[in-house]
This record gives sequence, structure tokens and C-alpha cells, in this order.
Amino acid sequence: MDLLIPNGWLKEFLETSASVKQIAECLSLCGPSVERVTQTEGDSVYSIEVTTNRVDSASVYGIAREASSILPRFGIKATLLPIEVSFDQKSVGSVGYFNTKVDPLLCTRFSAILLKDFKIKSSPSWMIERLKQVGERVINNIVDISNYVMYELGQPVHTFDYDKILGAKIILRESKKGEKIITLDGKKHTLPGGDIVIEDGSGKLIDLCGIMGGLNSAVDGNTKNVLLFVQTYNPINIRKTSMFLAHRTEAAVLFEKTLDPELVTLGIKRGIDLFVKLTEGKPEKEILDIYPLPYKPKKLSMKLEFIRKVLGIEIPKQDINKMLTPLGFETSWKRNTLEVTVPSWRANDIEISEDIIEEVVRIYGYHNLPSTLMEGKIPDIIINSSFGFESKLKNILKGYGGTEVYTPSLVPKNWIRQNALKLKNPLGSDSEYLRTSLMPSLVFAAKENSSEKDSFHLFEISNVYLPKKGNLPDEKITLAGIFANTDFRKTKGIVESLLEELNVIYSVDQEDSMFYSASKRIVFKSSS
Amino acid sequence: MKEDIINTKNEALAQIMTVKSLGELEELRIAYVGRSGKLSRLIKKIVDLPLEKRKETGFLINEVKNTISKILAEQKNSLQNSIREWFDPTIPGLKPIRGHLHLVTYAIQEISSVFEKIGFVRVRYPEVEWDWFAFESLNMSQGHPARDEWETFFVDTPTHPKYGQMVLTPHTSSGQVREMMRVKIPPIRMINIAKSYRRQSDVSHIPMFHQFEGLVVDKNISIVHLKGTLDYFARNFFGPKRKTRLRPSHFQFTEPSFEVDISCGVCGGVGCKLCKAGWVELGGAGMVHPVVLKNGGMDPKKYTGFAFGWGVERTFMMKSGLDIPDIRLLYSSDLRFLTQS
Repeated sequence: MDLLIPNGWLKEFLETSASVKQIAECLSLCGPSVERVTQTEGDSVYSIEVTTNRVDSASVYGIAREASSILPRFGIKATLLPIEVSFDQKSVGSVGYFNTKVDPLLCTRFSAILLKDFKIKSSPSWMIERLKQVGERVINNIVDISNYVMYELGQPVHTFDYDKILGAKIILRESKKGEKIITLDGKKHTLPGGDIVIEDGSGKLIDLCGIMGGLNSAVDGNTKNVLLFVQTYNPINIRKTSMFLAHRTEAAVLFEKTLDPELVTLGIKRGIDLFVKLTEGKPEKEILDIYPLPYKPKKLSMKLEFIRKVLGIEIPKQDINKMLTPLGFETSWKRNTLEVTVPSWRANDIEISEDIIEEVVRIYGYHNLPSTLMEGKIPDIIINSSFGFESKLKNILKGYGGTEVYTPSLVPKNWIRQNALKLKNPLGSDSEYLRTSLMPSLVFAAKENSSEKDSFHLFEISNVYLPKKGNLPDEKITLAGIFANTDFRKTKGIVESLLEELNVIYSVDQEDSMFYSASKRIVFKSSS
Repeated sequence: MKEDIINTKNEALAQIMTVKSLGELEELRIAYVGRSGKLSRLIKKIVDLPLEKRKETGFLINEVKNTISKILAEQKNSLQNSIREWFDPTIPGLKPIRGHLHLVTYAIQEISSVFEKIGFVRVRYPEVEWDWFAFESLNMSQGHPARDEWETFFVDTPTHPKYGQMVLTPHTSSGQVREMMRVKIPPIRMINIAKSYRRQSDVSHIPMFHQFEGLVVDKNISIVHLKGTLDYFARNFFGPKRKTRLRPSHFQFTEPSFEVDISCGVCGGVGCKLCKAGWVELGGAGMVHPVVLKNGGMDPKKYTGFAFGWGVERTFMMKSGLDIPDIRLLYSSDLRFLTQS
């Protein structure tokens, strides 16, 4: 996942004296990789690559948390500042303004709130600047707030026109095959089935959940009342739908990586705050919050000795604590056993003790570890390996003036003369089959040099793939050569010399075959 | 007497100048300046002269003898030259046709020889492989988003009941579990170099390329040993001053996972236009995930290991400083390109 993080936005949550350059360097060494820093709209913007398992850091706040854990290791003070929210609505399981039925297997947490009488206008300049810095299109305050919260927290947020949802009622369910929906961007989709969708009181689909909202329920210039939606979904459904429809929205890319349901609280409250501040909308008193299986803290334990074994060095207990705590882990020691409580936002990527060790050592800094070759026994070599022989063949043929080629092993259908393996998803019809012979490839290679008037000789050592029933093909390593503009006797002489060099006793027979002119083909037969 | 001497000289010179062969020349030498040649005979006559003329005549005869000898020598040289065969040793040699090995062959040879020196065993595993070895056993189950990074070719054959679909192996990592199954009891130090296939084709990507995969499994293998091995490779493949650096990364089949950087060969690690603050990305590596060890029949409580897998072509281009504008050129058969190696 590639992120753009504006320095000013980051500093809203990260109190530090570190320079932009220091932040970029330290993050790259111990955390997400900063690919470059550019100047956009008057601020430094970091281009950051976050690995797919770390969706928790795919946001401004997530990067601030990483930086606050990493910078102190370099002797630079850094503190993570909390996100302040001023409105504090109650979360309840059902509300008067909205009737819902949610399948908990599809939607792990469903929250929504109604905001009335807001004013659509353009967003304030600070928000416009930041959205531009992260490469987002600026539309109006409603759309911009949704996007802003997503970039800030890594939690997608969606808005609906409340009055377009018939009966103020929704059902969140799995789609049936063939159901249709037009998304916000005007694209028509026919669903494969098993997608997470929402239908309103009239039975029409209003949301392709986690991917994009429906056009029929979208906020427009006439919208008076807005429903603010913040959810977490089953990532497998989201991914399947998004891949099937080839509709890879930012929301889908986040949702398919399992988002932290605990983050939903902050997401909706941050949304409400911004709505009140920027649209003058009036929120209801209660947030609808359907969260049947709340997060239970995950605990892992491991021995100090095990940590030392994987790292190859000793790290004192209190240092281990110091590295884990800023990341949100709680640590406690019972003699030499470490018990770690995993924060909700890391519940998905931290599964085994090795994951904790990775956290310790990356903050410690891989670059700070020593470098030593392993000791211990050396494995035995493989006696009958053919590598040496292949290399000998290549060198002999090079000595005879041959030029080695590597030709593609994926070939077109008309190069295949026997049973061959076919690809399900070839790049094109010219590379649809796995070759069973090197001959057509070499003929083609020779023709590529048809402008060459002098004698030349190409050869290749490569696998051919001979299909076997119910099993992997026989990968047969094969030597083949082709001679162009060359006298037959010279060619034959090279083959004979090669065989003699290899101490092969052979006889020569004349045999006709396809692809060769009648009575102009010989076969060397090993007689040993 | 004086006249005789002058006449002999003139006669000799005339004959010498018109001689045609070395044999004739030798005859003339004997006839004039030989032990009993004409001049010797004239010398013997000196005693017949009056005393006051003997000295003067002696000088004259000597002078004539010297002149004749000199001309004889000159004529001998010139005769020898004229009978020498014409020969020009500066002519260009006729070379046998020079053969050429492919760049990828050189790269594979160099890479494997560096690792073989520290006890790695070179192996080769199937290029057409079951999904289980290519993904599932490497901790990437069906539908896992991490699979997106490997644009995989699928073979149109029935699915194996245990191992799943048949694929073209998208990386040499498929050999990790196979090597564990082959060796059964560590130590394992594997270097697996083979063709890999991905569904991609542009100036920097090719559907068929080569990877080399290192795998070490034994008791007490730690990150420190991975660093040691990578530094050894960097020094012995790229040059004595090069070193590597690990940064955090993520792969499903290693834990922890790293991105490996090598110090920039152009600026020496100070930072320049071609690198990132003195470092260039080399590829991925990591400590073998316990699930992968288990799938290979290894007890993760007893054994640990590390692995790395990089592109042969890219690594070799980084070493040689070759800048091939279109990587697909490597797999064309154009002699103008192939004969440059």
C-alpha cells in the first residue's frame, strides 16, 4: 500500500523536534519505508510504502504512532498525541431514526448516526490543502470529510442521503447472484453473489458495502439529512467482490485487510466533530452501534531465551518493554517469560511469538545487529547433480564457436507437435503452451538473425516439459543447437567432436523424419 | 706492377657487381682474395721490386683487398635479400570463430560459486509446480491478498486432490519446502537457481526470468547469520567494500521479513543520484516462518532458518553496471546483443 503523508498533518499527532529528513530515514530503517519526500501545496509530503499486513499504519495517525515508537531509539524525543473528540454521543443497539437488520458474519461492527440540516459548501482551505497533498479530489464538505477521516485514521467512512432510504430501513445481507447495482461513479455492476450489500425498505440495493455506495442513495445538492456510516466488514467477502468486479477502491483495499472494529468508535466521533464544525449539521443524540462480538484482548507469551535465539543477541528485559510499549503492547514479565497484550489494531497481524520478536528487533534496528557467518556442519553435496556437466557442455560449444541463447519456454500452439501443457491464463496466443521441444524455438532464433551472412551456430540448454497424467510434467533438461550458413560436414564435425570430447561411443544412422529434407537427416546413437 | 694491381681491382669489381648467385660470388672471392687468389699472388711478387717501392705497393694491395672484401660482403647481402621469400609477419591472425555464453549463464555461475564456497548446495526444483508448494505451504492460503504480488500463470489441468492447481512457479521459494523434504535432517544450506514465471511483460518485467533462492535451516540460526551470509555475498560478488543493510518488510513465509539494501557502488555509500541515501534495494529476505518449517517436516522448536530470493538478471545487472534499456532484450536471440558478452 502506497501512502502520501503530509508532514504538517503528521505533526498534528506527533510532537517531535525531528526534521523531515530524520523522520524519513528513521522510519525507513525501523518501520514503513519512506520512498521519497516531495513538496506539495507548501508542505513536505512523505511517499510511504506500508506492507500489506500493517493496515493499522496505513493512515496519518498510524504513521504518527510508528514514528513515536521509532524516533526515541535514535535519541530523538517524540510523543504521540491523542485525537481529541468533543462530541460524546451514547452508543446504543437500536435507534428511533433508523431501522436495521445486520448479518454479523458479514459486518463485524455497524455504526451510523443521522445528521440533520447541514449546509453543503466547499471545505475550508486547510482541509483542501491536505486532501490535495494526499492526492484526493476535492468535492464539497460532505465528501471531503469522509475522505479526510479515512486518510487520517485509515477507517473508511460513507454518507447516504437519509431521505432516499425508503422507510428509513435497511437490511445488510449477502447478495444473490445476478443482482444489479449502479455505484456512485455511474458504473453498472452485476453481482457474482456473496457480496455484502444493503437494501432499503423498498428492496432496492443502495450500497455495495466496503467498495462503493449506490448512486440511488448518494448525497447531492438537494440533500437535507445525512446518514454517516462507519463499519468493519468481513474482509474475505470484500476482497472477493472487489477482485471479481475489478473495482479496487481505497475503501476496498483497506477493508479487505481486516480493519480494527475498535477504531469504529473514533471514526464516527471524528466524523461527527468535523460535520458539526464544517457543515453546521445537527447530530442525533445516539449513535447506532451494532457490535455483537466486541474485541477481546489477545495475549501471547514467550521465553526470553527464545527471543535471544532468533535475534542472535541478548536484549535486556526493560529494553524489550521500552520498544513494545509505545506501539501499544502491554508487557509483563514472570521471571524469564514475557507476556504481551496485543492492542486491538494489531490483533490481525500479530499471531505468534515470532511476530512480537519482529516488533522488538525492528525497533531495536536490524542495522544494529552484528553480522556473522553460521558455524556448524556443512551439508553433503548432491553426487549426481548435472550442473557441472551442463556447464562443461556449454564451454565446449562456446569453444567451437557456438553462441548460447535463452529462448522463452512459453510458445504458440503451432510450435507444438505433441501433447503439451496449456496455460489457463496466457499473456497472449504466442505464449500459450509449455514447449516440449527446443527445435521450433531455435529455428525462430536463427530466423531472427536472417540478415547475418556469415556462418553462425546457436545453442541452448533448457527444460522441456513433457506432460504426465495426474502429475507434474517431466522437466527434461535438453541441449539443442542450430547452424546457419554452415557446411553440413562442419556441423556434423562439431557434433562428432563434442561426443568424442565427452567420451561417448556412437554410431551414425541415416533416418528420415518430419521437419527435415528427405534423406538429409542423421541420428547419432550412443552405443555404450 | 701498380698497373696490374689497379687492373685486378677493376676486373674484380666488375665481375662481383654482375654476379648472379651466391655460388659464383664465392668463386670470385676465392679467385681474388682467397689464400692463393690473384691478390696473394701479387703480394708474393713484392720481393721482386726494388726496396723503395715495396712499402708503397704493399699498402696499395692491402687497400685493394679491403675494397674487394667490402664489395663482396655488400653483394652477398644484396644477393641474400633478393632470394628471401616475401613474408609479412604483421598480417592480422585468422581467429577461430569466438563462441559466447549467455549473460544469465555467467550470472548463475558467479552467484552459485560464491555460495558454494560457504557450503551451500546448488539444487533445482520444478518450474511447473503445485499451488501447495508455490503458495499454500508458504503460509499463503487460497484467496490471500498477499498472492496478488505474484501474477501467476495457471496450467490448464485437473486440480490435484492434495496439492491444488498446477502453476508455473512464480518464485524459487517453492523449493524451500521441497528442500526440507529432501534433506529431512538439517543442516540445510540450499541455493536454488531456476526459471520463474510471472504474468507480466514490459521494459522492466518479463514473463520468464531467473531467481536464486538461499535457504539455511539448522539449530540456532539467527538474523545475525542471515546478515553474515548476505555481507559475505555482497563482498565476494559485488566487491570488497560493499555491505548490506536490513530494513523491515513483510512476506507471509518469513517472520521477521526484511528488505535487503546494498551500499551503493557508485558513490560508495555517501549518497548520489543513483541510490537512496547511499543504499540500493537488492531484494527480500527473512527468517523462515514456523508454519513453513512445519510444512517441510521440520520442528520449529528445534530448528530455525533464514531465506532470501532475488532475481538473477537484476542482481547481475546491478553488479556489472549494465543498463539494459529493455529487459526483454535478454531473451531475444539477436546475435548483435548476444555476442557482446
